[in-house]
Amino acid sequence: MPQDLAEIYRTTYRALVRFLYRKVWDAARAEALAQEAFARAVVHKPDNARGWLFIVAANMARDDARRAARERRHLTLLKAEPQSEPATDDAVHAETERTQVRAALEQLTPRDREVLLLWDSGLSYDEIAAQTGLARGAIGTTLARARRRLVEAYEGKSGEHVARG
Amino acid sequence: MSHVDDGILHGYLDGELAPAEARGVDAHLAQCPECRRRVDEERALIARAAELLAVATPPDRALPPFRAGDVKAPTRLWWQVRLPLAWAATVALALGIGAYLGSDEQRAPEAEAARSTVAPPLARPEPPRQDLTRRETRVATGAARTAPAAPPAAPQARARVDNIAVPRPEPVMSADRAAAGVADSVRLEARPEWIAQPKASGEERSQWQKEGAISIDSARRVLGADPLVVPGVPIEALYRGRAIGYADVVIVEQALDSTTTIEVITARTAPQLLDQVVVASAPAARPELARAADSPAAALAKRPAPRAAKAAAQVRPDLFRDVRGPLSADSLAALRRRLQPLRAATGP
Repeated sequence: MPQDLAEIYRTTYRALVRFLYRKVWDAARAEALAQEAFARAVVHKPDNARGWLFIVAANMARDDARRAARERRHLTLLKAEPQSEPATDDAVHAETERTQVRAALEQLTPRDREVLLLWDSGLSYDEIAAQTGLARGAIGTTLARARRRLVEAYEGKSGEHVARG
Repeated sequence: MSHVDDGILHGYLDGELAPAEARGVDAHLAQCPECRRRVDEERALIARAAELLAVATPPDRALPPFRAGDVKAPTRLWWQVRLPLAWAATVALALGIGAYLGSDEQRAPEAEAARSTVAPPLARPEPPRQDLTRRETRVATGAARTAPAAPPAAPQARARVDNIAVPRPEPVMSADRAAAGVADSVRLEARPEWIAQPKASGEERSQWQKEGAISIDSARRVLGADPLVVPGVPIEALYRGRAIGYADVVIVEQALDSTTTIEVITARTAPQLLDQVVVASAPAARPELARAADSPAAALAKRPAPRAAKAAAQVRPDLFRDVRGPLSADSLAALRRRLQPLRAATGP
């Protein structure tokens, strides 16, 4: 059903890019992978396209991370001289923040992280349960834990102790 | 009712509880200040987590257009997707060379001869390429290690990678043709050389598997066009062939003389996504072709052969063609330039 898929593309593409970005941490790669996922959906015509897309995207991101790790080993030699791009303060700040969030996310267990990222991508508890194999009743608990750990890890790291609760 | 646990509370705040369950939570909250306080806490936590995740968001760009059947991603991912295959092919080929040279003693000298004619343009000194393709070099040396019997394997393996990287020059050519005018004939001449270079060596022959003999009519049906032949050379037999990356292959055996048989290969490249791949690789392909045109081999190919050039122009551009046989690379290249569709070749 290309019509349905076009609709899903409109509503889900950005979420998928975001989801992928938080795995590969490279906007261009995330977009390329998201397009690839949709291209595969066109070919495979899965029943539950939205859930299917996120599963495929997660798998691609995993493969991509492996490949990227492999390439980094080669690139370390080539990148002897640092890129001297004059960065604005804002850009530096945003980049620092992003790095800290990334570090905080990486402190979560893979399962907690996956559930959190899927929720943030707009999937329902039912969809998350179907995708992760968790019981539906466990999603709320997992999300509660994931959110708490993310905030704690971030705030512990950045030193910004936001007075809350 | 006992206090509401975190999971239920988050489900409640996420709006993911069943209506009955949500009513139960409402009822409890109404009478439990402790849990009301917790609801506020958890709500803040949820908002904070969402806020942090929002930081980890790529720049918002316009939604790229989507058309069903518009398979854009593979072209974009072309390098990433193809490269692993190229590696596998390279390793497989390197092993193949080793096996070939090892098993087939009688043909080895001949392959050696073919290589010596092919090698010069390829056996460039390593350094210039090293920075560019560290990995290729690694594979190449690896290949040399796996196949110690074939020291020249390294340059060939690399040439093969190049070849895979730009799998189909023809449509690029035809696209150029409209615009290129005079440069056209030069490029047309250059093309067989470009295809031929790595193909003349031994390992390539094994790529084309000969299967059952077929009639001329079935060959036409298979290809959807006349198979190519060298005009004026008696045809011994036609075979159905098989090769990775090609949908349909026809191999025509022609006898140059009583002892020399050549094989003319006509192949239809596999349809589907390859077309798009070629579009994506067009800019990459051009410098490659331009370089081929500058090479000594291409200079040689510029020898006037107007009729052949005309014939080449008639040949459908989506057909891959090649000539193999126990001849020097130059002779094979000359034969390649003479290829014509069967009907035109045999007709009046």
